[in-house]
Amino acid sequence: MTRPEPVAAVPTDAALIAAWRGGDEPAAAELVRRHARALARFLAGAGALTADVDDLVQETFIRAFRGLGRFRGQCQFRTWLMTIGGNVLKDAHRRSRRSRLVPLGDDLRATDGDPHERAVAGEAERRLAAGLERLPRMQREVFLLRAQQGIEYDDIAAALGTTPGAARVHYHHAVRRLKEHMQ
Amino acid sequence: MNDDTRLHDDELREVAQRLGARAAERLDVERTAQAVVTRLRTEPRADVRVLGWIQPVWLRIAALLVLAAGAGVIARSLLHKPPEATALAAPAGAELSELSADQLRQVLEAVGQPGGEHETESSQDVSLDDLSAPQLRALLEALEG
Repeated sequence: MTRPEPVAAVPTDAALIAAWRGGDEPAAAELVRRHARALARFLAGAGALTADVDDLVQETFIRAFRGLGRFRGQCQFRTWLMTIGGNVLKDAHRRSRRSRLVPLGDDLRATDGDPHERAVAGEAERRLAAGLERLPRMQREVFLLRAQQGIEYDDIAAALGTTPGAARVHYHHAVRRLKEHMQ
Repeated sequence: MNDDTRLHDDELREVAQRLGARAAERLDVERTAQAVVTRLRTEPRADVRVLGWIQPVWLRIAALLVLAAGAGVIARSLLHKPPEATALAAPAGAELSELSADQLRQVLEAVGQPGGEHETESSQDVSLDDLSAPQLRALLEALEG
C-alpha cells in the first residue's frame, strides 16, 4: 500500500513575506501572482486607465516590497497593498493630470451575453465609475475595499489608519452619494 | 422615486464587483510577477532615491552658503577699503634692494608727487640772487634756446 503524497501546504502571505525578506525571489513572485488581479480591479475601479493598469500594478508591488518594513501585520497584506495602490494611482494622476474617461473605455465593453443586458450592465458600470470619480478619496477607497473586494471594516480601518466606525461612516456616505449619482 | 428605479445596496455591490474585471483579465500575471522581481533585483532601492532627493537640497544649501560668503567678502572689501598710501607703505618699508623695478617706480611716484609740488612752490620763491654762477649760466642758455 502506497502512502498518499502529502498535500503541499499553501504558504501564507506572512510566510511568503518572511521568505522574501530573506532574499527569496520566488516568494515575491508568488505574492504578485496571488494579489495582482485583485489589485488591478481595485486600481481600475479607483480610476486607472486600462492601459495603465499593468504599470500601476508593478509600481505598487515595487513600493510594497521595498516598504515592507512598515507592514507589521496590522491588516491583511492585500488590504495594505491596495492602500499603496491608491497612493501610486494618486501620484500617477498628479503626474499625468489625466482623468479617467471610463464611458468609452474597453474595460466596459463586454462582448458576451445578450446585447441589451450588456448595454444595461455597461451603463451601470459607467455611471458607477463616474460617481466614484466624484467621491473624496477616502470614501472611494473604503467603498471599493468593502463593496468590490469584500474586506471587513476592521481590516479596512487598520490599513487606512482610521477606526472601524469611521470606515463604516465613509462607506455609507459613499453609497448614498453613488446612489444619488446613478439614479 | 419608486421601488423599480431604486438602486439597492446589493445591486450597487454587484456593479462594483464587475468594475475593473476586464482590466484584471487582461493582466498577464506571470509576466507582471517576473517584471516585478526583475525590477526589484536591478533597480536602485528606495533609499537611493531618497538620497537622490536629498542631494539637490544639500546642493541648494551649499550654493546659498557660497553666495552668502561671497556677498560678505564683497561687502567687507567695500566697507574697509585700504588707502593707497597703505598699499605703498609695505614696499616702501622694505629694503629698496629687494624691490622690483615696477615697485620702485610706484614708490618714487608716491614719494615724488608731494615733493614735486613742494619743489614747484619753492622754485617760485627763489630769486636770481639765490642762484649760483653755474645755475645762472644754465638759465641763460635755456632762455637763448
